[in-house]
Amino acid sequence: MDFNPCLKHKLVRKSVREFAEAEIAPLVYDLDREARFPWEIIEKMRPLNFFGLQIPRAYGGAGIDTISYAVAIEELSRVSAALGLCVTVHNSVGAYPIVRFGTDAQKKRFLPALASGERIGAFCLTEANAGSDAGGVETFAQQEGDSYVINGTKIFVTNGGVCGTALVFAVTHPEDPRRRAGVFIVEKDTPGFSVGEIEDLCGMRANPVSSLFFEDCRVPGTHLLGRSGDGIKIGLAALDTGRIGIAAQALGIAQAAFEASVRYAKERQQFGKPIAAFQTIQNYLADMATEIDAGRLLLYRACARKDAGKPFGPEAAKAKLYCSRLSTRVADQAVQIHGGYGYSKEYDVERYYRDAKVTEIYEGTSEVQRMVISRAVLSQPA
Amino acid sequence: MLKIIVCMKQVPMVSELPWDARTGTLKRELADGMMNPACKHALEAALQLKHGIGAQITAITMGPPAAREILHEAIAMGADRGVLLSDPRMAGADTYVTSDTLARAIGRVCPDFDLVMCGCHTTDSETAQVGPQLSETLDIPGAAYVEHLEIDGRTLRMQREADDFLETLEMDLPGLVTVTTRAYTPRYVAMSGLQDAFGEVDIETLGCEDLGLDPHAAGMKASPTRILDVYSAVAQKENLVLKGSPKKVVDELFERFGDRIGGAMGKDLTPHDHPLERGRKKDA
Repeated sequence: MDFNPCLKHKLVRKSVREFAEAEIAPLVYDLDREARFPWEIIEKMRPLNFFGLQIPRAYGGAGIDTISYAVAIEELSRVSAALGLCVTVHNSVGAYPIVRFGTDAQKKRFLPALASGERIGAFCLTEANAGSDAGGVETFAQQEGDSYVINGTKIFVTNGGVCGTALVFAVTHPEDPRRRAGVFIVEKDTPGFSVGEIEDLCGMRANPVSSLFFEDCRVPGTHLLGRSGDGIKIGLAALDTGRIGIAAQALGIAQAAFEASVRYAKERQQFGKPIAAFQTIQNYLADMATEIDAGRLLLYRACARKDAGKPFGPEAAKAKLYCSRLSTRVADQAVQIHGGYGYSKEYDVERYYRDAKVTEIYEGTSEVQRMVISRAVLSQPA
Repeated sequence: MLKIIVCMKQVPMVSELPWDARTGTLKRELADGMMNPACKHALEAALQLKHGIGAQITAITMGPPAAREILHEAIAMGADRGVLLSDPRMAGADTYVTSDTLARAIGRVCPDFDLVMCGCHTTDSETAQVGPQLSETLDIPGAAYVEHLEIDGRTLRMQREADDFLETLEMDLPGLVTVTTRAYTPRYVAMSGLQDAFGEVDIETLGCEDLGLDPHAAGMKASPTRILDVYSAVAQKENLVLKGSPKKVVDELFERFGDRIGGAMGKDLTPHDHPLERGRKKDA
């Protein structure tokens, strides 16, 4: 394994950082306070292919490799975790399932608008009684001739308030536990599709997370992704790749919290010297740096396996589990280093603290990641 | 089609770099390189010409192997090919030898060029000499500090700000311009551009032999410039606490800093302007 960052990934990092610091950073504080989705930034991101990162060139995407993808999400999230979230969810669970499981006709029909960012993607799995237990989904897709009629409510949909194309996980074969669900491509202008209230969340406030309602929402059979009953397979594949994005996002938050801590520790004077001169603070910073490095290596391994066409589910789960945990630890430590100022909205670290926590919850909770990892561990011959 | 050469340099990100107070030099081993900002503006100007009237853009840089990074970046932004002049014997060249080496490279890789574009200066040495020297070496007309340019046939029309006026110049091609950082704000690099820049790209690396350059005429050995001393400017800062009655403190403040306060206000301060004096007169 090459531990030197490849020139390409270095340049991806620099380029995304340059854009994020110049165009996003000046607005981040207000976006968080006002819980506002920044369409004006989205417009600037569109020509730079942020919405088609891994969509093939033929459909208008950039077709970049997965490490570049992770670096881009990390750098966006380092400045705005809420925008990083929008982009990673759009690319990974919003568009990737169509890239991987879509027919040629579906790819031609749906991918160009997703790749250009004209339509923002969302993935709808979670319901009031189903989340970690995907089998508990109750949204139903009734086949009627050549079409399906979808009824149900999805909750906590990232990008829900702004999505143009949603992938909806719905029951198609209630009697068959192995082929119980399917995934449907639903466009926002479909009659019967509506958006609920935007959630008032602790962090990621610039992302319009919402409920989505499907009331007699009729979609043609050509909008079924894969085969009827492939839902679990498609959902798990989407989540595997989604976890890479969330691990990258968590890493970006941790990196920002770490950099803020280093800056503050060098500036803040107590007892006549910068607090960075105290061993306790040095230990905190050393632990933060070590964890971030370790997380990054775990993440890049998962990315490299995906690009090599190897199974990467358990590796992605390990990266997601570790990066999200380290993100909350580092953000917590950053607040501690900043003392009272860290608890104030005057400093960014309180936002990092609020944003980090949910990375342990969505795209599979830490408990679900452990389930995925332990299954892989226990399936190995003794 | 118009053939444009953009000369560029990789410079350290100085804002992120600590200085070695003892030697007065940048701790370059900690440096991350970047495309010199003015060179990036020159590239943007070239790209706008390319998109306007069509052009083939060759980006050239001289530097260590790591300088290849800015050629990939240039291609990601829209340049068509890159040329890296990299040879340990070229190291330490001053502006005179750099101009000579660049001229040879241009003669080798694109002898039928129409326009050479450079940044007006670099952030690491700030000499602003390479562009003008290169036009002399190539024996073509040159204009420095250009802010706007357009091409009409074989004529390049440009504007540049000189002191308090805007100057409009015309030049027959082939020619050379150096571009400022006021106009031509560089575009952001698109992800698809980055993907292309690391695909099948045309980046050629040339050394002394490739350029027919006598190693004794290259690098520091051949450079007539001698740097006698390099040092960091030391900021003289001290905290001063004035103590005593308000009148005494204000008197002392005016005595010590009256000139500077007056300078900042744009007027000569007289004792009448002393706020306490003024108040006293009113009371009287």
